[in-house]
Amino acid sequence: MSRVADTVPMKNRLRVLRAERDWSQAELAERLGVSRQTVNAIETEKYDPSLPLAFALAELFALSIENIFQPEPAARNTKP
Amino acid sequence: MSAAVSDPNPKAKPESLAGYIVVPGLFLLAYAGARGGIENVEPGSGAALAFALLPVPFFAFLIYAYVRAVRSMDELGRRIQLEGLAFAFPIALLIVFTAGLLDLAGFHGSQDWDLPRLWPLMLMPYWGGIVLAHRRYS
Repeated sequence: MSRVADTVPMKNRLRVLRAERDWSQAELAERLGVSRQTVNAIETEKYDPSLPLAFALAELFALSIENIFQPEPAARNTKP
Repeated sequence: MSAAVSDPNPKAKPESLAGYIVVPGLFLLAYAGARGGIENVEPGSGAALAFALLPVPFFAFLIYAYVRAVRSMDELGRRIQLEGLAFAFPIALLIVFTAGLLDLAGFHGSQDWDLPRLWPLMLMPYWGGIVLAHRRYS
């Protein structure tokens, strides 16, 4: 069984989107109901959020999930 | 504003000081009381049994408080706890069976390997695992 979720690195635009709105990590964390550490871990791409949290981020920024999270370009062309 | 989407139990509140200090403190007091009591009653007596079982309800409450604390965390907090426990549990088993084997092998010396002296040592892998997991996501 392949483990695509564990092998495809994800990039995200969270830091840019947050900066555009002039929100601190703590403020974004408050809006999402998560800890500041969680926001920081997502921004630094050390942690990929769950699907519900990704949807909440998309709703908050009024974007689609694909506009926030994308697989690394090299990984996108790799067949599982 | 979005709800706490990553929290499966929206009613869960972050643990207060009671969860982190009072509950473990009560357990430690019960444990100290049990140890002190056992040494002052006749072994095998009903009083000894009562003292031996004294910490059990306090530890059960400690488990309840810990599970509540984990449920009040967000998804990354729960992952850190899971990784910490995944690290700590096998190490705790390793400590127990190694101590048992050393005891069987005759290296019991001055009762250094008995379980009451070991369990504080078994907390250290948990803290180590939590620190490592925190560092991984920081």
